[in-house]
Amino acid sequence: MGVVTDILFIALATAVINNLVLINFVGICPFLGVSRRIDTAFGMGCAVTFVITIAGSATWLISHFALVPGSALVNAVNSIAGSKVVEDMLFLQYIIFIFVIAGMVQLVEMYVRRFAPALYKALGVFLPLITTNCAILFACLTIAKSPELTGNFLFALVYSFFGGIGFTLAIVLMAGIREELDNADIPEPLKGPGITLITAGLMALAFMGFKGMAG
Amino acid sequence: MIPTIILAVCVMLALAGVFAVLLGWANVRWHVDVPAKLQHLMDAMPGANCGGCGYVGCHEYAEAVFHDGAPPDKCPVGGSAVAERIAEIMGIEHVAGVPSRPVVLCGADFDARLKRPEYRGEPTCAAAVMVAGVQGCTFGCLGFSDCVVACKFDAIHIVNGLAVVDYEKCVGCGACVRACPRNIIQMVPFQADAMTVVACSNLDPGKVVRSVCTVGCIGCGICAKLDDIFTVADNNASIDYDRYQADTDLSTSIEKCPRKIIRYAGK
Repeated sequence: MGVVTDILFIALATAVINNLVLINFVGICPFLGVSRRIDTAFGMGCAVTFVITIAGSATWLISHFALVPGSALVNAVNSIAGSKVVEDMLFLQYIIFIFVIAGMVQLVEMYVRRFAPALYKALGVFLPLITTNCAILFACLTIAKSPELTGNFLFALVYSFFGGIGFTLAIVLMAGIREELDNADIPEPLKGPGITLITAGLMALAFMGFKGMAG
Repeated sequence: MIPTIILAVCVMLALAGVFAVLLGWANVRWHVDVPAKLQHLMDAMPGANCGGCGYVGCHEYAEAVFHDGAPPDKCPVGGSAVAERIAEIMGIEHVAGVPSRPVVLCGADFDARLKRPEYRGEPTCAAAVMVAGVQGCTFGCLGFSDCVVACKFDAIHIVNGLAVVDYEKCVGCGACVRACPRNIIQMVPFQADAMTVVACSNLDPGKVVRSVCTVGCIGCGICAKLDDIFTVADNNASIDYDRYQADTDLSTSIEKCPRKIIRYAGK
C-alpha cells in the first residue's frame, strides 16, 4: 500500500474507529466538563488537537533519539561509561512524557499569547488545563508502544493529529446533544450528570459499530 | 542499579535544565506587555471571582473596564472603595451609587406557615418546589437552604424555616437571587441602612392567604391609602423603590398593616 493510503487508514482508524474518548475512554473529564455548549466544546477540541499534535511529535523525537535501545543518548552513555550500562531508557518514559507535555503546553501558551492573541482569547483557560488531559499522554504512549508508529515520524504525526480530531468530533457531538437535552423533558432524578453519562455510554455503543472496519 | 539511578537523575536534571532555559527564554522573547493601567486595575480587584459584576471573573472585568469602558461600580464585593480606586486609575468621575442588597420577600417563619405536612424528599428548595403541597403557601420561602449554599459570603441563613439575610456580611452579589427557585429574593437599592419591605410574595386572594399563612399580605390596600409609594396589584402590596429616598418614613403603614407584614430589612 502506498503512503497516502496508509495515512488515510491511520486517520480513519484514530479519529473514528479507535476514538480516544468513546472507545479508549481517555480524556473523559473535559468531555463531560466542557461539553455544555458547542462553541466552547469546539474551542476545547481545537486546543487539544493543537497540543496533542505538538506533544505527539515532540515525544516521538525524544523517544527516538534518547529512550529506545540503540538511540543516540543510550549509545552515548554506554560509550562514555565504556561498558553497556543501560539497555534502553524506557523506564523514564512516563515521567519524561509528562514533563515534556507540561513544558510544551507552557511554551505553546506563551507563543500563542504573543503571536495569536485572538486564538489565545478563544482558547482561554482550556490551554493550561490540557496539561492534565490524559488523552494526550495516552496518545504519546500509544505512539511509543506500537511498532508502526515508532518507526515513522509522519505516521506518528498523523496519528496524534487525528487523535485530536477524534476528540473534537466526540466532544462537539456531545455538546450538540447536550444543547438539545436542555429543552428535553428529562425525568427529574436523571437531570444533570445522570443523563450526560447515559448519553456518553450510548455514544460509545454507537461508536463500537465502527469496530473492525479498518486497521 | 546505582549507575541507573544516577543516570536517571542526570537525565531528568538535564531535561529540567533544558526546559528551564527554553521557557525562560520564551518568556523574555515572547513577553506580552500588559498596559500599566490594566495591571493596576487587576491589582485593584478584590479577587473573589464571584461573577457578581456580570463578567466571568475579576480579570475579565478589569479588561472590560480597560478596553470597553465598563462602568467602575459593577464590583459588588469591593463596593464603593473599589469603584473609587477603578475610577481613579481610569481617570473618570465616580458617582457614588447606592449598594444593592437582597431582600427576602417572605416574612413567614416556620410557625407562621399553615398546612405544612411532613416533607421527606430531597432537602433542597429546587426539589421541593416541584412537589405540590410541601406547604400551604405556593409563593413563600421553602427553607431548604438553596440560597445559603449559593452564598459565598456566609451572609444568608435559615432562621426557623425562613431565609434571613445578614446585612453585615452581605456584599450584594445576587447569588441568592439566582438560587431561589421561587424567585422571592429581590435586589433592592439600599438608600438607607434599613429599608422598608413588604415581606410577602403571595398573589392569591386574601381568603386563600389567610388559610395558609398567619402573616401573608391579603391585599387590603390600607398601606396604599396611607402612602402612594405602595401599590397593590394581584392581591399583593409592593414598594416602588425608584421613589424610595433615604428619609422616606413609612412607619405609619408599618403600624397600620393588619398582617404586620411591612417590615424593616437591613442593619
